[in-house]
Amino acid sequence: MIEISPTLWPFTTRFLEVSTILVLAAVGELLTQRSGVINVGIEGLMLFGAATSFLTAQAFGPLWGFATGTLVGAFLGLFHAMLSVSLRVNQIISGMGVWLFATGFVTYWADRYTGPLKATIPRISGLTPAFFIALAVVIIIWFVLTRTHFGLKIRSVGENPAAAEVSGVNVTWTRYFCTTVGGALGGFSGAVLMLSYLGAWSHLPTKGLGWLAFGLVMFSLWRPGILLVGALAFGFVWQFAISPESIFPGFPAPLPVNRMLPFLLTIIILTIISTERFRRRWALMKPEALGQPYIKE
Amino acid sequence: MLKLDIGRIKRERIIIISGRRAVEISLLSIATSFVLFSLVLMYEGADPLVAYQNMFSFAFDPKLGLSLTIHRSVLILFTTLAFIIPLRAGLWNVGMEGQFYLGTIGAFFMAYTFASLPSEILIPLILLGAAAAGSLYGAIAGTLRGKFNVNEVVVTLMMNNIAFWLIYLLVVGGPWAGIAESSSRPLPKSAHAPYIFNTPFTSFLAIALAVVLFVFLTKTTTGFKIRVLGHSINTAKYVGIDEFKMSVLVMSLGGAIAGLAGYHMWAGDPAFLMIPRPEAYKAVGDLTYWGIILGLVTLLNPVPAIPASFFMGSIIVGATVLVRRLRLPFGFDFLFLGMISITFAAFQFFYNYRLKVMKK
Amino acid sequence: MFTRPDSESILEIRGLVKRFPNGVTALDHVDLVMKRGEIHAILGENGAGKTTLMNILFGILQPDEGEIYLNGEKVVFRSPLDAINKGIGMVHQHRRLIAAHTVLENIILGHPNTGKFIDKKKSRKEVEELCRRFGFKIDLDARVWQLSAGEKQLVEIVRALYRGAKILILDEPTSVLTPPEIDAFLDSIKAVSKEKVTLVPFVTHKLPEVFSISHRVTILRRGKVVKSLSIAEASIPKLAEYMVGRELSFELERVPTEPGAEILRVEKLSALNDKGLVAFKDVDFVLRQGEIFGVAGVTGNGQQELAETIMGLRKPVGGKIYFDGKDITKTSVLDRLKMGLAYIPPERIGVAAVGDLSLVDNVLLMYYFEKEMSRGGMINYKLAKQYTEKVISEFNVVAPGPTTKAAHLSGGNLQKLILGRVLLKTPKIIIANLPTQGLDIAAENYVRRKLLECKQKGISVVLISENLDEILQLSDRVAPIFEGRFVDILENINLRKEAIGAMIAGGFAERGVNRA
Repeated sequence: MIEISPTLWPFTTRFLEVSTILVLAAVGELLTQRSGVINVGIEGLMLFGAATSFLTAQAFGPLWGFATGTLVGAFLGLFHAMLSVSLRVNQIISGMGVWLFATGFVTYWADRYTGPLKATIPRISGLTPAFFIALAVVIIIWFVLTRTHFGLKIRSVGENPAAAEVSGVNVTWTRYFCTTVGGALGGFSGAVLMLSYLGAWSHLPTKGLGWLAFGLVMFSLWRPGILLVGALAFGFVWQFAISPESIFPGFPAPLPVNRMLPFLLTIIILTIISTERFRRRWALMKPEALGQPYIKE
Repeated sequence: MLKLDIGRIKRERIIIISGRRAVEISLLSIATSFVLFSLVLMYEGADPLVAYQNMFSFAFDPKLGLSLTIHRSVLILFTTLAFIIPLRAGLWNVGMEGQFYLGTIGAFFMAYTFASLPSEILIPLILLGAAAAGSLYGAIAGTLRGKFNVNEVVVTLMMNNIAFWLIYLLVVGGPWAGIAESSSRPLPKSAHAPYIFNTPFTSFLAIALAVVLFVFLTKTTTGFKIRVLGHSINTAKYVGIDEFKMSVLVMSLGGAIAGLAGYHMWAGDPAFLMIPRPEAYKAVGDLTYWGIILGLVTLLNPVPAIPASFFMGSIIVGATVLVRRLRLPFGFDFLFLGMISITFAAFQFFYNYRLKVMKK
Repeated sequence: MFTRPDSESILEIRGLVKRFPNGVTALDHVDLVMKRGEIHAILGENGAGKTTLMNILFGILQPDEGEIYLNGEKVVFRSPLDAINKGIGMVHQHRRLIAAHTVLENIILGHPNTGKFIDKKKSRKEVEELCRRFGFKIDLDARVWQLSAGEKQLVEIVRALYRGAKILILDEPTSVLTPPEIDAFLDSIKAVSKEKVTLVPFVTHKLPEVFSISHRVTILRRGKVVKSLSIAEASIPKLAEYMVGRELSFELERVPTEPGAEILRVEKLSALNDKGLVAFKDVDFVLRQGEIFGVAGVTGNGQQELAETIMGLRKPVGGKIYFDGKDITKTSVLDRLKMGLAYIPPERIGVAAVGDLSLVDNVLLMYYFEKEMSRGGMINYKLAKQYTEKVISEFNVVAPGPTTKAAHLSGGNLQKLILGRVLLKTPKIIIANLPTQGLDIAAENYVRRKLLECKQKGISVVLISENLDEILQLSDRVAPIFEGRFVDILENINLRKEAIGAMIAGGFAERGVNRA
């Protein structure tokens, strides 16, 4: 007989925290992709955000940690934009470069300080404040994309930059903006992971969350609403995989099997939405110029 | 105000890049990452020349680091090849880590199951097990990509994590658990890999494989099909190349090679398996990421991958000396990996443009 | 019949020069004057500098020398936005619209005076008002990909007018329109010019249509203005002479052939397009040995999908294909290639050839599966190189050598290579989809002559084209296609271009042309 545990609320706050991390990173990537730039380096953005925020938080306090984590993410986003928009470097290579750079640099930079944080951040009845920020960010991005002229410009640049250009839209600027904001959100998400969720540095702490966020963007059909729902579900699965006993005391399966769950689920979901039934709809929703540099003729 | 008389620098577009220029760019990006690396060394208070001297003299000293350098180089060479083959067909295999773990599992499964067989039969069996397991694991991503067009980058990465937990399940408190924490039972004596000229036989296997793959990619019909697919999916369809078959083929080939890396890393030499705790330094799996950057830097050519892997292997081994002899922080090899990734990505700029100084 | 243009000039161009980095002088001291409310056609062949002039006027390119004056005031356009803000609008030949967005979204995109938030009601009212004034009819909520070529063009015109364009540049406005659409277009042009908007159509082909409504024409040749004259002084033959500068005549003789044996039979074939809509339905036809079967139609009426389905690149949803009496509906592309079917797609780089690969590899694309090419799985590169050299010499491909990368070839030479590598092995059927699109006149004629020569060798050709002159010049039989159906299949004897033109515009189809 499985019974509901009294640790349900703490569990809920934990899983909402994972969802927050996922949603922040993913909605940033969504914005980036809507403008036609693909950044496969989210994991790298998060790693940098996490490391920077960890180190600054140790020295100056958590608030500074959030600020510098976000800033570093924005900077990396800007870097990716510079390579992929202005210099027309292959966007996958550029994103991979950012990711591997983060993997290498962060290991060298932060691993020597491995250990817990000195200060903790305040919580609202157990929930991280970042959760509300993430909700606001999703709503703002949804509103901007669907209800404002700026959003229309972003969508147009992602669909057909040549057409946007002749309507007087500055393609380069729009893509720079979206990629940088996307980077900042990725960095912020890494900071939330470190300062709010983990509270301690260990070797490569993101553990594939950034890639999960990347998969989430594909699954969301580039819609912030679906993304939010997806992130909530994945946050639940992730946290459930780590501590199933907090919902169902005495959950039988051994730990490693649970930990495979979120990754397995991502593959299954991505496969389902790629099958004949969904593929066409998916292709329609995909920003048409995604991943292609814009070359003025 | 100081004014430099260099004139205006103009960028000029390149439509199709020549092979020579591509090689130059690769070499330039390696050189630049060395410069950046030296700067960091100086920042940490070390003389770069002394550091390099220490690193390489240790890594190439037969009495000290050479055997480890070779061991790591072979691992990197396998993973580089595992990355190159699929990308030749346009598929990003970033799942070498997962295929590597699966190869390890395949190898150990064979070794434990047929422990009583003599070496002559057992070792080929173990190799086969490693290659088959890695190959099947890679084929999953290839199938999904070929059949449903699922993004292979995401799938292979997810599968890395799954594979890690799978091997963790087997070794930590699982059926293969040994006496020491996070390690497996040792393999029987008959499974120990033979040495040729005092180096593991896998070194020669890897080098031979690189050469064979070079011929395979450039001279055979299948290699031609892979190349066409890598350049243009539409052209491939147009001339009747089966995208599905090719996707599965390259991914299972890549997986098989990464699986051999798993054999080499564990079953071949130490003959027991050691798994890091999930929150700890996961050095072995992370080593496979060298394959990505080396594959790109060598322009997907298996032959230059041989010296490049050896070189990187020496950096990885040499970096351990920096910690011990010069009391520098740990992780310099990772730093170099990061440096070379970012410079290579940035230098892709020169694929598209040529800089020209305009005379006033 | 015409509104008299005002005498005051609105746009003046003085001494415009544009040189490209490759040394080509695209514009050589061009002077032009345009008046308010005037329809001022600019004529010129491909390469005369029309595109460059247009791009400069719209701020996409910047001139090296010369000035542009708007209402007597010197202006510099650094980007399209500058040009738009100064009242210049452009209607592109290759439509610059966002297919996934609605018509309204396309029209209001980038408009400066709409505030931050989208007020759909207000903009809709404004656009509807504008359309009423000019007598245009468009469904503002339709997605652009659902529109016909003529409707898309109208959207571009409305977009420019909504942005307050006083000068409207039209790039080859009639080239992709069907005859009824052209009439509608000419009507809208007149309506726009009545509202004191200057129209500048840039034209290469289809002189008469534009001639009928223009007030003034300027002819460009090799980057220079040859002549600028009012329509009263001009005549079509004279204009053509100014454009070309010399008499060009390429006579092609089509030898009528005896219909040979049946080689391909298509029965009730249907397939979907990439969007999942019906591309063509219940197509029936028979191809005989040694004939050219012309499929005439405006691009996007299912021709491409039909060609792809016959080649096996697209799965049919119904129907059968027989080759030489054998059912090949389920046969793979590779097997069809081996049987002797060949397809020449409209996209030269990216489908037919790979720019990054050498010419040898590109020729090999059509031979890699042949037995003689592989010895135990290894490619016989020596033979491949021989074949490439043969293609280069026999088909007059101008290339430095067989190891050159395909991207370095010009469009015409690449097409010769693509055609040559197919013809070298004498296939049974060639499906040529827009084989002369974008080629210069010499290459165009070369390709047409080679297709005619196929007949002598007993090769059957399915020629897909939107150029009716080409269709009538080459085909033995003509099948006009409209919305995925063959309107008819006609022997090419005394066929009138106008009749075919009406058929491909849906004049004889059961359903109407306009969706709106």
